[in-house]
Amino acid sequence: MNWKKFDTGKTPTWCPGCPNYLLWLALKQSLAELKLKREKIVIAYDIGCAGNMADFIKTYGVHTLHGRAIPVAMGVKYFRPELTVIVVGGDGGIYGEGLNHLVTAARANIDITVLVANNHLYSLTTGQASPTTPKGAASKSTPQGTDLNPLPAVAMVKKVNPQVLAETISPQQHLKEKIKKAIKFPGFALLDIDQTCVTFGKLLRK
Amino acid sequence: MAQPTTVKIVGPAGTGIKSIGRLLSRILAKHRFFLHDYSEYPSLVRGGHNTYQVSFSPQENFAVFRTVDFLFSLQPGHWQEHQKEISPQGLIFSEETPPAGKLKKNFLFFPLSELARDLPPVVANTVSLGAIGFLLNLKKEICQNTLATTFPQAKKENLRAFQKGWEFAQQHWSEKRLPPFSQGKGEKEIVDGNEAFGWGFLKGKGDFYAAYPMTPSTGTLHFLAEKQKEAKIIVRHPEDEIAVANMAAGAAFAGARAAVGTSGGGLALMNETISFCGIAEIGVVFYLVQRVGPATGMPTWTAQGDLLFAVFSGHGEFPKVVIAPGDQKESFQFSWQALNLAAELQTPIIVVSDKFLAESSANFSLEKQQKEVKIKKGKIVINPREDFRRYSWQNKDGCSPRTLPGTKNGEFLANSYEHDQSGFSTENAFVAAKMAQKRMKKLKKALQITPKPQLFGRPKNLIVSWGSTKGSILAAIKNSSKWGFLQIKTLWPLHPEIGKILSQAQKIVLVENNQLGQLETLLKTHFSFSVKKRLLKFTGRPFFPEEIKNELEKI
Repeated sequence: MNWKKFDTGKTPTWCPGCPNYLLWLALKQSLAELKLKREKIVIAYDIGCAGNMADFIKTYGVHTLHGRAIPVAMGVKYFRPELTVIVVGGDGGIYGEGLNHLVTAARANIDITVLVANNHLYSLTTGQASPTTPKGAASKSTPQGTDLNPLPAVAMVKKVNPQVLAETISPQQHLKEKIKKAIKFPGFALLDIDQTCVTFGKLLRK
Repeated sequence: MAQPTTVKIVGPAGTGIKSIGRLLSRILAKHRFFLHDYSEYPSLVRGGHNTYQVSFSPQENFAVFRTVDFLFSLQPGHWQEHQKEISPQGLIFSEETPPAGKLKKNFLFFPLSELARDLPPVVANTVSLGAIGFLLNLKKEICQNTLATTFPQAKKENLRAFQKGWEFAQQHWSEKRLPPFSQGKGEKEIVDGNEAFGWGFLKGKGDFYAAYPMTPSTGTLHFLAEKQKEAKIIVRHPEDEIAVANMAAGAAFAGARAAVGTSGGGLALMNETISFCGIAEIGVVFYLVQRVGPATGMPTWTAQGDLLFAVFSGHGEFPKVVIAPGDQKESFQFSWQALNLAAELQTPIIVVSDKFLAESSANFSLEKQQKEVKIKKGKIVINPREDFRRYSWQNKDGCSPRTLPGTKNGEFLANSYEHDQSGFSTENAFVAAKMAQKRMKKLKKALQITPKPQLFGRPKNLIVSWGSTKGSILAAIKNSSKWGFLQIKTLWPLHPEIGKILSQAQKIVLVENNQLGQLETLLKTHFSFSVKKRLLKFTGRPFFPEEIKNELEKI
């Protein structure tokens, strides 16, 4: 099956070299290889650079409020369990603003797949510390270095519910296979995709 | 015409006042009395001071009254804070020495603990029900049957307790017994506002209900949660109100007729999602049951302080509908109608109730009410063309046909960003303005399909109000040739008829359960009129008919 049928004809607005291009391609290829029909998929997008993928994938989609992609996805899945439901968001929305929802989705072990483009930074808002920014790292909102411990999201989710699938992966390694596996997983799946922001990532380098 | 008879039961929390009260209301309905009840309780589980009261009559009765004919104190002393409510011939029943002074003649010794001595503690309160049954001249068999079906687990003990109370009253107070009542025509069942909303949701083909527990809206959550299997609906209690609203939005996007329930604090958390539903054109019903604010306020007490908050909820400009039922029947009607409005207008619909209406019971016939239900699903496309545009601005009413997930060629993006006709994000000046206008057109359509204002009596001297004050106002002006009442049922958008009626009035009296007179503020955004008098009550207590009547007599 041709993954290009998931294109909307819109050109992505990410910076050249952004790891979101890899995620975008791998997601479309996964959907095609799993032979999923466009109309049977609902993707809930968070706000942020990754969430902007909303305009670039042709399925049913909801570009939600910041932090709220998971409850929207859960509402879809509860009412229409036959649909494939995916969440695309970043570390700010999924691990920060909407953390309570991530925990609940894991507790529910609801059959949705959450893809987190985790670049340890708020990038769309030009580079502030996120919940996964390393302690001590300086950013625009924490010029003296953040004094918060980074959130171990994957370990936390697994602790909340050992039955779920949760792992940290690199965008360069078998991304497509990992996404396919997560979508096929009959329960809650979290893929924490470890990225570096090509534009603001240098802020984090000490 | 005589004022309805009022019975009040008071005592500490945990003595079963609510359950015995509800049972009494049910028994009175079975006798076909017209009844309204009301209960007060503090925000705690044990101790404190609880009350239940019911006003009933074989003639049409609109409200619960303040003046009490029979006051039962389940523990000594609890009657004291209700002294001023006793009617001149009213009776107080308590297990204590009668007080010296004026009330001595109204006081009757009721040896409750003595009578309940060999009964299990849980049925002790049923003893007073037996006494009440005798004093009100109720049919013993109806009382016993209702008691047995309400508490099937402790049937025997309850019946024994009831008999003890009945016999004691018969032996000691037979001269106090009311003469037999004539047969009334009230409906035989009762509901409170929250249950009525739940029934309206079920009969209106609601699919998805989510709520985070918050007094006084929780009754609907309990009601629907218990019925979810049998009714094949989904009821969720998510992690917080933000999840509640977004989950409902997701379900509605996927095709559900969805509603959420909350009070003011919860609606505050849902505000961003209300705005999201506005721009993404997702129809969700928000059932707002007001209590006293600000902040945690007085959680178990009534208020109408969130009118302007509901009308202006959500950031940015988008169309919304705010409707307010005035009684239990309208709680049912506005529930299914709100689901229809959400489907047709594809925008947030807020149904505003309050503690007084939501937790008070009145006669109700589901059979009769459900005959009026009509289901409207709005515009849904089953076979879209490949160039389908979900947010097409071609439609005069601003409501563009939608597709549901699963429909081929209907794929679209429901977007919290401003978007073009396909749903893709845009910052184009022309498209942004055009889309904002497209959505706002729905307000015009809303005026055609939302509940119209209702005028009771003549408009020369006019009481203007909204929501749960309806019953007390109608009771206050019953048989009055002087006063009429304008009930505003749709608070947003405002129907032009309101202006016409207001312009005919010579004297306008505003009645609201809030401090600022929010309805007046709201109406003045559209209409010009002057108010003769404002009756505003913000004590956490509802208006009683007597209070309104007294104030009207002063004008």
